[in-house]
Amino acid sequence: MKRFVRSWAAVAVAGLTLTGCGFGGDDGQSGGGRTLSFLVPSYSDGTKALWEGIIADFEAAHPDINVELEIQSWDNINDVVRTKVQSNAAPDILNIDAFSGFAADDLLYSADEMVSANTVADFQQSFADNASIDGTMYGLPLIASARTMFYNIELFERAGVAAPPKTWDQLLDAAKKVAGLGDGVYGYGMPLGSEEAQGETSIWTFGNGGSWTNGSTIAVNTPANLEAVTFMKRMIDEKATQPDPGASDRTPMLDVFIQGKIGMVVALPPTVGQIAEKNPSLTYASAPIPTKDGQPMTLGVADHLMAFKNKGDKQEAVKTFLDYVFSAPVYTKFVDTEGFLPTTKSGAAALAGKKEIASFLEVLPNARFYPSTNPQWATTQGAMQSLMGQIGQGKEPGAVLDEIQAKANG
Amino acid sequence: MMTNQLMQVPAPAISARRQARRDLVAAFPWLLPALTLIVTIVLFPAGYLVWTSTRDVSPVGVDRGSAGFDNYVTLFDSPALGRVLLNTAIWVVGVVVVTLLVSMALAQFLDKAFPGRRLVRLAVIVPWAASVVMTSTVFYYGLDPFYGVMNQFLVDFGILNTGFGFTRQPVPAFLVAMGVAVFVSLPFTTYTILAGLQMVPREVVEAASVDGAGSVRTYWSVIFPVLRPAIAVAVLINIINVFNSLPILRTLTGSIPGYDADTTTTLIFKYIQQDRQVETASALSVVNFVIVLAVIGIYLRVVRPMRDE
Repeated sequence: MKRFVRSWAAVAVAGLTLTGCGFGGDDGQSGGGRTLSFLVPSYSDGTKALWEGIIADFEAAHPDINVELEIQSWDNINDVVRTKVQSNAAPDILNIDAFSGFAADDLLYSADEMVSANTVADFQQSFADNASIDGTMYGLPLIASARTMFYNIELFERAGVAAPPKTWDQLLDAAKKVAGLGDGVYGYGMPLGSEEAQGETSIWTFGNGGSWTNGSTIAVNTPANLEAVTFMKRMIDEKATQPDPGASDRTPMLDVFIQGKIGMVVALPPTVGQIAEKNPSLTYASAPIPTKDGQPMTLGVADHLMAFKNKGDKQEAVKTFLDYVFSAPVYTKFVDTEGFLPTTKSGAAALAGKKEIASFLEVLPNARFYPSTNPQWATTQGAMQSLMGQIGQGKEPGAVLDEIQAKANG
Repeated sequence: MMTNQLMQVPAPAISARRQARRDLVAAFPWLLPALTLIVTIVLFPAGYLVWTSTRDVSPVGVDRGSAGFDNYVTLFDSPALGRVLLNTAIWVVGVVVVTLLVSMALAQFLDKAFPGRRLVRLAVIVPWAASVVMTSTVFYYGLDPFYGVMNQFLVDFGILNTGFGFTRQPVPAFLVAMGVAVFVSLPFTTYTILAGLQMVPREVVEAASVDGAGSVRTYWSVIFPVLRPAIAVAVLINIINVFNSLPILRTLTGSIPGYDADTTTTLIFKYIQQDRQVETASALSVVNFVIVLAVIGIYLRVVRPMRDE
């Protein structure tokens, strides 16, 4: 019987430790300087085929360089990268949202080490600035996304809301009117679940002139932020939002909007395509996001390409490949197919006539970004994702902001 | 010296010990694959886990050197830890006790001959055959307040006025998760106890009834003692399994903000994925392991389930 206990204790050890840590292989190191490992997230069902096409064309033109593509879901990619870095097997090129943590550990090439001067000069200035730390650019902005408010025209007409709201007070009023229709219809969709709590919250705080940094340090509980979050709680308490916003993730909530059950949501460029696919009969329009005083503002998000300083002389191969990726025809096709916004001047010129993204390109000049160049931002964002929704579960805004600040400080 | 020893220790003992050593050497090549497996998948990861828990690992995975016990200090400073430990206790005790009671009743029922028993026995296995993530996801979407069929059912039958967010608030979501955990633990537990029941000799039960024992007396005095080892196995494996269970809670309570619906196991993953603190997660894993060992130790000590009657 003792043996029985001992063997189960061994099973317990195995179970615990196997879930506790993972080991990445030593891939990406083989093949000398001419094989590039390239790790990307999946933006849509077509991402894999899109990259494969680009790589096939590139390899046809450069037979001496071999690009090995690895695709991961957004859920996994952070864990995959961390595991690879921890086991000294970082990919040569990585596509992800934030680069500052890698830059802080001095793992990355700077932009002028990984692409030619012409490519660097082609990035729109705001995106280049957003990809720089202390004047050195480490990330190459690959795609951009901006937000606008989508509203359901039919629900607005039935509720007697004449025009899309511009200020918070108008928004609260319009949302309550739409919610008053009853029958499972909600006013404003507020996704404070772990998927996108940082995005929704930033829309409100930035719309009040707030910010997540105080120069070089993360500052969460500032008067402007507190006022914005308090107003969010007021929206929830006055039943202007869907029930339980604290546990609502963005993707399923946008589906409820697409079904025609929510009056207003803040949405992003790919939403246009999702509506066309899932419910083309939905009557909706988009308008700038309401802010406290009606000043135009949008949340800009950029994802970046970055290159790791790995062993072996791969820098020239990296440069050749990335210059190819950012050449106007290749880049425009990528952004256009994925339905995002271009970050290069040549790309913006090429896509200027595309009407699906016209309303987003229009708000882009007023874009505010996450402070993603701050190395603490990744932790802050994680804390927001896991904690911000508590305002929808009765917790006081100030206490929640303090809790996030504590996590950010480490 | 040599002669002295030979004189003091009886000769057969030495040769027996030598024989044992020789046997061990002879057996070693045959044990090697199993030992290699144990070292690579059990001991090395466990050691690496403990090692990581004392390192300062940056959010992107660079090892910045030793951290001493800082990670443990960070862990025990966390204001959420008390609630999470309490949740873990409620989770393990609640799920295991309810599972055991329901399984004992269910096994008793399945042990009786009745028409269609084969079909019912098969039905009990189904939750086990389905992946836990799948089962949890079915419950998650079924209970969705906007379009879940279970909510719709409750509304259509007039039990609720509008859909209720069962999985949107910490306490109801945690209770739903416990229900699902019981549901998926039933098949294994029931069958383990059923196997035990089949070992009860018919004659003994008949003898008890001839002696005039009622069914309750027969169960506790005759059947239950035979079941003890089976129940012990079921409880032990359930404790380990439920304690380390991640998919159910992650699926059902994952989108809930804060830590009110977390157990230590889900907290490990929040440390990794949201806070990007592999080292704190490692520290918590070590603590988790110590807790599960302690719980099993106390169970074996207090309940003495392996005691031979």
